[in-house]
Amino acid sequence: MIPAPPPILYAARAEWADIVPVEQYEKANPLAPILYSAEYKDATDYLRAVVKAGEQSARVLQLTEHVIRLNPAHYSAWQYRYETIVALQSPLDVELALMDELADKYLKTYQVWHHRRLLLTLQPTPAAAAAELVFVAKILREDEKNYHTWAHRQWVLAFFNDDALWAGELDFVDAMMNRDVRNNSVWHHRFFVVFHSGVREGEEDRERVVRRELIYVKQNLSLAPNNASAWNYLRGVLEHSRLPFATVAAFVTAYTVPHLADAADLVDVENPPPGPGAELPCAAAVEFLADVYEEAGGESTDKAVQLWKSLADEHDTIRKKYWEYRIREAMSK
Amino acid sequence: MYNHRNPLPPLARAGHIAHVKHALASLPGSQVNLDASRMAIVFYCVGSLDLLGVLQDETTEIDRTSWRRWIWEQYAGGRYGTGFKPGPFMTKTSVHSDQESPHLIMTYTALLSLSILRDDFSRLNRPGVLTFVRACQNPNGSFSSMPNNGGDSDLRNLYCAFCICSLLGDWSCIDVERAIAFVASCRTYEGGYGQLPSCEAHGGTTYLALASLRLAPPGPRARLTPAERARSENWLVHNQDASGGFRGRTGKASDTCYCFWGGAALQILGAEDKLDAYAFAQFIAACQFPFGGIAKAPGQGPDPYHTYLSLAAVAMYAPRLEASARRYGQWEFTPFDPLLNARVETVRWAREHIPARRF
Repeated sequence: MIPAPPPILYAARAEWADIVPVEQYEKANPLAPILYSAEYKDATDYLRAVVKAGEQSARVLQLTEHVIRLNPAHYSAWQYRYETIVALQSPLDVELALMDELADKYLKTYQVWHHRRLLLTLQPTPAAAAAELVFVAKILREDEKNYHTWAHRQWVLAFFNDDALWAGELDFVDAMMNRDVRNNSVWHHRFFVVFHSGVREGEEDRERVVRRELIYVKQNLSLAPNNASAWNYLRGVLEHSRLPFATVAAFVTAYTVPHLADAADLVDVENPPPGPGAELPCAAAVEFLADVYEEAGGESTDKAVQLWKSLADEHDTIRKKYWEYRIREAMSK
Repeated sequence: MYNHRNPLPPLARAGHIAHVKHALASLPGSQVNLDASRMAIVFYCVGSLDLLGVLQDETTEIDRTSWRRWIWEQYAGGRYGTGFKPGPFMTKTSVHSDQESPHLIMTYTALLSLSILRDDFSRLNRPGVLTFVRACQNPNGSFSSMPNNGGDSDLRNLYCAFCICSLLGDWSCIDVERAIAFVASCRTYEGGYGQLPSCEAHGGTTYLALASLRLAPPGPRARLTPAERARSENWLVHNQDASGGFRGRTGKASDTCYCFWGGAALQILGAEDKLDAYAFAQFIAACQFPFGGIAKAPGQGPDPYHTYLSLAAVAMYAPRLEASARRYGQWEFTPFDPLLNARVETVRWAREHIPARRF
């Protein structure tokens, strides 16, 4: 393969001859200096020059794109690019198409997402928002737990707050959950959609919604009991709905003991039992049941203490100190 | 499976010193993405030397003077007040004052770095800094990294604004209660805090949120209810996994930087006795790179960020290590302040020299 030719520096391009490059100003003894490539040094020399001159033109868009590709965390290049787009009234769809490529490449850079947000805010149309959700879904399929990408999706939903956008969100959650039932970002997103985004059409009957969510999380736990995300979700739903943990005591208990030999063939939708391959007892269930006993107080406290002891000594030894603390706290009440 | 009762391997102090000194001297071109956050890298490097207690022995007065001078070269002022920029990458060019703007996170790291280097802060324009911090606050209480909603806004910036106000001993420039309401809106059902309202609970931002609540002057009511405190504590201790390290989010793998964020958050809650300090140190020991520096996970490459945060993490928990670990003298540190993220002695210097002199 023939290597790509080195880029022609701005200093050697006739169309940039009118610009006097501005070198980085740094006195002797720079701290943590970066050994810039010739290409980066040249491009930023010209960026400093156009910013100094206040030039906002098509070639500035080309130059800022170049700098951003070399260093996507160069927030001044991003900022100047944004100001130039606004000044030139550049078509936003062209910019967003470019951003689709850059966001994909530099997923973990704050600036790519910040810039997208600014663009969407400039022309907030329902069509743009819908397209944005499609784009985010595509990116999440490549990197299912990327924090910035999820944050962006939540921002789009909350900012546009359009019923049509919300309508497909639980289906999206299900699709992501099917890919990885242990993806906490998906569980968090479900909580956000169901409980923190306001009440939407078809979701007015909150009691029914809570019942639906409890069944959803229980069925998930029955398929994969050792899933901290699902246990946290179960707690979250109960606490948010001000229901006592004891509401699900019957369900949880089956997960705190070894497999029952006579596991019932009966299908109990409210209390799905752990699946045949499950590793039991499940530490999160033991903790949950201890909380139920602690909540009950009185004589039940002893049962909680026994469960915490089993966590400290056997099922969850890394948190021994924490369980011992819980025991001390409960005993002193 | 890890055996946490194995003897703790030595902390390779000399290697870590060499790693950060090397970064201070030069960074390879492949790390050009750090160009707009050099001040933070400087903080991690100088801070590592401070934690290891070798600033006096491993650097000369000439070095330290020239480092202070470089930091002050990044001091910038304009219409929206004064503060520090990340470096000279856009310097001395602009007619556009926005391009010369100080940056909130970099201002915090510069103030700490200067304190580590025992600067006298005679050049600091205090009212100018307060003006800058004020200009970074948004109507919803959050803070942006630059004035007038410039740059991204999230809990990182809010924490840095709070640190600066705390160090200057002056909160009059910002709307504290509105900021606190923003922090509260980032809380999630798991008991942690997300980077923005509606985001997933995350170890780094949970530290920033809890530290900010503690730094703030007292408000009309307690910043956390007992139930909220217990839930946060529970979520944090559950982030320590069987490797002894901390993960940043439920279900993810451990990473040394979350050992700091999670460990420091527990310290702030007064719950430092509730984690397994020995397993914690074992994980960090396992992340040491054979040729110096500390990585995010075993077998990965080191960098100043993970090196500093790992050292800070063990500095906080060293007093809780078992006697067998103390045998290895390398695992001992002087007291550390988890709120401002620096050695107690350095924080004392900062609190003595940064506030305006009162006559």
